[in-house]
Order: sequence, then C-alpha cells, then structure tokens
Amino acid sequence: MTTYTVYKEQLPRLFEKWSEAHALYVPARLREGFYDLVPWKPGLEIAWDFDVAYNSPKRFLLPPRETLITFNRKTCEAAPVFEAPAQILFGVHPYDVKAINQLDQLLETGAPDQNYVRRRAATVIMAFEPLTVSPSAFWATVGAATAAHGYDLYWTKIGPASFTVEVGSQRGEELLAMGGPLLPATAGDKEGARRAKARIVFKARRSGLRYNWEETPRLLAKCWDSPLWRRYSQMCLACGSCNLVCPTCYCFDIREEADDQLEEGIRYREWDGCMLESFAKVAGNHNFRPKAQDRYRHRYFRKGKYIYDKIGELGCVGCGRCVRACTAGIANPLKVFNELWEETTHEH
Amino acid sequence: MAKPRIAFFDFAGCEGDQLQIANLEERLLDILGHVEVVSFREVATGHSDDYDVAFVEGSITRPEDEIRLKEIRKNAKVLVALGACAAIGGINCLKNFLAENVYREEVYGSSARWFSTYAARPLKSVVKVDAEVPGCPIDPTEFARITKELLLGRAPWISDFPVCVECKQAGNVCRYEMGKMCLGIITRAGCKAACVSQGAHCWGCRGLVPGANLDAARIVMDRPGTSRKAIQDLLRFFLGDTGAAL
Repeated sequence: MTTYTVYKEQLPRLFEKWSEAHALYVPARLREGFYDLVPWKPGLEIAWDFDVAYNSPKRFLLPPRETLITFNRKTCEAAPVFEAPAQILFGVHPYDVKAINQLDQLLETGAPDQNYVRRRAATVIMAFEPLTVSPSAFWATVGAATAAHGYDLYWTKIGPASFTVEVGSQRGEELLAMGGPLLPATAGDKEGARRAKARIVFKARRSGLRYNWEETPRLLAKCWDSPLWRRYSQMCLACGSCNLVCPTCYCFDIREEADDQLEEGIRYREWDGCMLESFAKVAGNHNFRPKAQDRYRHRYFRKGKYIYDKIGELGCVGCGRCVRACTAGIANPLKVFNELWEETTHEH
Repeated sequence: MAKPRIAFFDFAGCEGDQLQIANLEERLLDILGHVEVVSFREVATGHSDDYDVAFVEGSITRPEDEIRLKEIRKNAKVLVALGACAAIGGINCLKNFLAENVYREEVYGSSARWFSTYAARPLKSVVKVDAEVPGCPIDPTEFARITKELLLGRAPWISDFPVCVECKQAGNVCRYEMGKMCLGIITRAGCKAACVSQGAHCWGCRGLVPGANLDAARIVMDRPGTSRKAIQDLLRFFLGDTGAAL
C-alpha cells in the first residue's frame, strides 16, 4: 500500500476540510490520565500520547441506545429506522481497529445487523500507532498489536511534527488528498514508522500473557470447574461495567415505548451485558445464569474460547478497559488467564 | 371501555414527585387524556374515593397513616408507589437511626407530646404495592412511560441493573477512578446516571438494584482516604430501610 508523509502543520486544514462533511472525532485529554475521542473543533489540542480512549470506539458503530423501528398500533404498520452519520474516527489504536474488525465479522455474518452495517459503512477509521501503553493494557500478547486491515488510513508519528500515513482504502487516500498534493514517504520515513511500531510493541510486552495466546481456548476447556471462578465472582457487583466498556462486547436488549397518544411507538435497543443479573432472564422469569459465578465464568469463556471457536481470534484485544472499569478489581482477563495457566501447568 | 380513574395521595414527603408530574407540562395533557383524574390535590381541586389506580407519594411515619393507606389500598385496583419516600422509605428513614426522644425533641421541641410518630417506612411495609416509580425526585419521563405501560396492560418495567450501566452508556469517568465514593454500584438505574453526569456521585435514591452485592460494595467503598463514617452516612441517606445501611 502507498505511504505518504504528512506534517503536523497540514492537519488543521485537513481537519477543517474533513469536518465539513463528517463528524470528526480526535483524541483529547479529559483530565489528568483520562483521554477520549471527542468532537474536533478548531484549536483543540490533540493528545497524541493518549494511552487508551476511555470509551471504546464501539459507541460510534453500536450506540448505547438506538431506535430500530417505528410502528403504528392502529394500522399495524412498521418501518425500519436507519441512522448512519458520516463520521471519521481519527486516532484509533490498532487493538481497537482489531476490535472493530471483529465486530464487523460477527455482526455482518449470518443475518447482517443492518443498523450496524450502515453505520460502519459511513465510518472512516484512521488508525494511529500508540505512543504510550495504558498500565492495564496487554494487547501486545493477545495478538492485537497489529491491525492488518480495517482502517482507511494508518497514522504513525515519526517525529515531533511528522507522520507517515499508510493508505488502507481509496476513501482514505481521497480524504488525505483534500489537504493538497501528497508527498510519498521516503525509505527513511517508512523505517521510522517501523521503528516506532517496534518500540511501542516492545513497551507493551512488559505486561502480558505468560503463554502463547492461541492456547487460551484449550486452556479454558480444562478449567470449567476451576475454583477461581467462585473466588473472584464473590466480589462481583453484577454492574456490567466490564461488558459495556469492552470494545468487542455487542449484546443489546430490545424494548418498546408508545407515544403519549398511544398510537405510534418505537422499538429501540440498548446496550446489555452478560454480567448483569437479568441478562439471562427469559420467559416466565426463568434465569439460566442466575449466579455471579456462572456469569463471571461465561464472560471469560466468551472472550477466550467461544469467539475463538467462531473466528480464530480471542474475543479480548487486551485494551485493559475492563481492568480499569471494575471497581471490585476482579475483571482482568490477563490475571485470570495467567492464573488458570499456572493452575493447570502445576496439575500436570 | 371507560377511562381508568386515577388518584394521587401523599404521606410524609415534600410532594416533589407530584410536582415532577406537573412538570411534564404539555405532555401531561396528552397522558392524562387517557385517564380520568379524580384526585390530584397539587394540580386540581375535587376528590372522589372511586378510583382504579392510586399513585401514592411519601413514607409512612405515624400509626394513623396505616389506616388511611389501607383504605386507599382497598379502593384501588392498582397501587403505585411514587418516589423514593413511598418506594423505599427514603430520607425520612434517617430518623430511624436516632432514639425516638431525640428526633421528637429535634422536630417538635417542647410540643413533642402532641404529635404521634414512629419509625419511617415505605408503603410496602404496610400494604401490597403493585408498581414503583423510583427516585428522588421521580423522573417524569419514567413516570410517563410506566403510566403508558399500565394503560396498555403491560407489566410496568423499571431498570433491573445498577447505575454503572447508564454511566457507561453516558461515557462518564467512573467516580471510583477519581478517588470518590459513589452508590451507583448498588443502585437501581433508570435516572440516566443523572447525578454523575452532572458531576456529582450517586446517592442511591432509586433504591437497591435486585441482587445488590452489599458485602462487595462495602469492601469497594472502604478505600484508603475514605472514612467509615462517610460510608455509613451515604448508605443511610436514602437506603435507611434497606439492608445496605449500617
């Protein structure tokens, strides 16, 4: 793929141009140690060294609440509702790109999720090579250090005021060209990008799985009855935070509300999570996963085995958001998988 | 089919929940168009004891309240607790942690013996409650939705997950990550994490979420820099009648 060199001074003009026809989100500092993708406005300081976006990018593709259909109770008619604003996510770290790729696979196969598919098609992903690693992250050891595809442009900061930009799609190249003539990256710049990648992956490897991540599904298959599930889940508040901050969790609940005339209404979906007590409640108030222990184990099986069995990747990209969000300190795929690994190797 | 007849009642409380309903303003007329209001002292004059649905605000704080509430229960087909005081006892229950002579003296001074009073309690401690509209104050949009669900013959739904869910939906930075205390981890959602989204923390006004893990919550709240007294005060503030208060 073509790679260009872009200088920082070109960015304000590019952002200006892009924001004419897109909602543009860029990384910014919320407060000391907290960063997020926020709407760009002229003069906004970009937090190039953000370690992780506080909120995962899934909210741009699968919003917390989304209307699916409108209906009329009198005429018994219904119509789908699709909202797909043109948007650019500038500054998506590779592990989050991987998470989006995973959502793409899971939501586009079988019966495609039309609302997701349309939002995704209207979304431009501009990946960005991280410059720092979040203390709770372990993406380098779960196969999520590199995103081979899924981005329109891939930005790497190679100097105080220069970037290499690798083109991932024609749409991306066209957006980049809106800033004027493009400057092909030199061999030296490309080498700079390669080194930047090597540097950050080296940093990120300081904390990680003690075994090859591809062993996880086989490891879990041996650990259904581990005492670990009960030990950790005793502290579980069933608050669903680990699910909701997860960039690959996509479960939702569906509800309806009539308008005040009781004639028309909407059906909408809202984020749901398998750690919530009512998640597995079905008809007749039967709950097929009533205990925190069952729910807790399910989440790790989902991340480490069920998703792998479907698509050959872990359902965890190692972003560390759940580790951070869990007030009880028990949501931690890295710790759980490592402890299970120790447990099983000592047994044999 | 005749329009359902509804009535509003209040016990110990500030009538702020009925005010929230009045605050629906233009929506109120549409919603009330489906019903016949026979009693709503804060909004209209007149009263009748012939009603189908009773919305009851406030907590029970005197023995004679029980007689009146049981009468309302007898008249109503559906009894809905309106707001924190009615649903969970709310801040009225703060007095339950004081000796009776102390709070009687504090409130009524030298006239204390003229007034009857006992430990504050929610409606459900006295009669069967069919539905709740939680919160202090109630969320008018939730009241509207619950009313519509009752009108459509559906079981009224209120959130059965903690406020954390709505904080994550809103994208709020977690209070615990900011070194603050928050009751969102055990409190029933449905407020759209209103207090946290405005920069404060959750006070627990919507009551405990079903299955709240109180043991874990106490451990989570008991962090360096947080006094046990502050934890106790927060847990008693709205949740005095629940198992959360210490």
